[in-house]
Amino acid sequence: MAVDADVVRLRRGDLSALSELITRYQNRLYRYLLRIVRQPAEAEDLFQQTWLKVVEKIRSFDASRNFDAWLFTLARNLAIDHLRRIRPESLDEPLANSGHSENVADRISSKDHTPLDHALAAERRTEISEAMAGLPMIYREVLTLRFEDEMKIEEIAQVTAVPVSTAKSRLRRSLEQLRDALEARYPGGTWQ
Amino acid sequence: MNEHDKIRELLALAAAGALTSAEEKQVAEHVRSCLACSNELEAWRPIANELRRLPTPQPSSWLVQATLARAEAKFTEQAEHDWNQRLMIIVVAFAWLLTIASWAVFHVVSGRFGSLLGPLFSQTLFSQKWISFAAFTALEWLAGGVAAVMLAIRQRGERRLV
Repeated sequence: MAVDADVVRLRRGDLSALSELITRYQNRLYRYLLRIVRQPAEAEDLFQQTWLKVVEKIRSFDASRNFDAWLFTLARNLAIDHLRRIRPESLDEPLANSGHSENVADRISSKDHTPLDHALAAERRTEISEAMAGLPMIYREVLTLRFEDEMKIEEIAQVTAVPVSTAKSRLRRSLEQLRDALEARYPGGTWQ
Repeated sequence: MNEHDKIRELLALAAAGALTSAEEKQVAEHVRSCLACSNELEAWRPIANELRRLPTPQPSSWLVQATLARAEAKFTEQAEHDWNQRLMIIVVAFAWLLTIASWAVFHVVSGRFGSLLGPLFSQTLFSQKWISFAAFTALEWLAGGVAAVMLAIRQRGERRLV
């Protein structure tokens, strides 16, 4: 695995490397946190805390290891502590009313051609996004890591601190639950 | 569990691209001859595709700037803290070195001038005097160290308030 030059520079005390890393990971990290806590204000606070933790712990980080997995593990630990503190039930339970709180920050990058295609695709994304937001935290997390961050199962296992077999079965269960949720929410729709 | 059921459990993961190459091969072979599994795999595909195309929520530029400012401040504070810690270790080591070295200095000085005082300045008296001197000096270093730590804690508290 290639050693990340910015991480090495940050470990040496180069402040410009910090700016590079924040810029590089800002979208992925914010999205991950938002998928876990679902509230933009909480995701923003955790986003800041994660980078403060990075600064605090970067000296103890082995630069030959996977920085992505390390960063997401720090973020995950902070998010879980936060959820345990404010909504202990939210770690395992699905959201009763998903009230998907992403707002103007969500930008739809459309690859659809006609206005009708665009509208249908947007509708499908809204449906899947809402169904996903209603899943328990561990399932939302594994879905975003696999499909949005495109992490391999081994990396997901590392971030979530579980064996690879558990990460795999968790991914399967999350997809099954998502499909069930879609079919229940939109009976007779395109998800069946 | 028969082969068909085993493969069926893998179909969601196949759509997610999360199978090993051996499992992928197994699934591909099975779906060629099993219409039910082939249809099931097709049913998973739109879900997996839409998950990959979900819009990415982006943090505001204000958040990124604020994070950078806070992280830089913490980075500077930590670097300062590390430097102070290193300095403290060097100063403490130097203080102890001086205290221990004072034995030799004390011995030379007392040897030169103590002989003038004759039996009044015996070896026992020398040892007692040096131990008192060393203890007093160590106490001074200790008091200085405690004062430095207290000042540092207070300074950090003030910086947090700012």
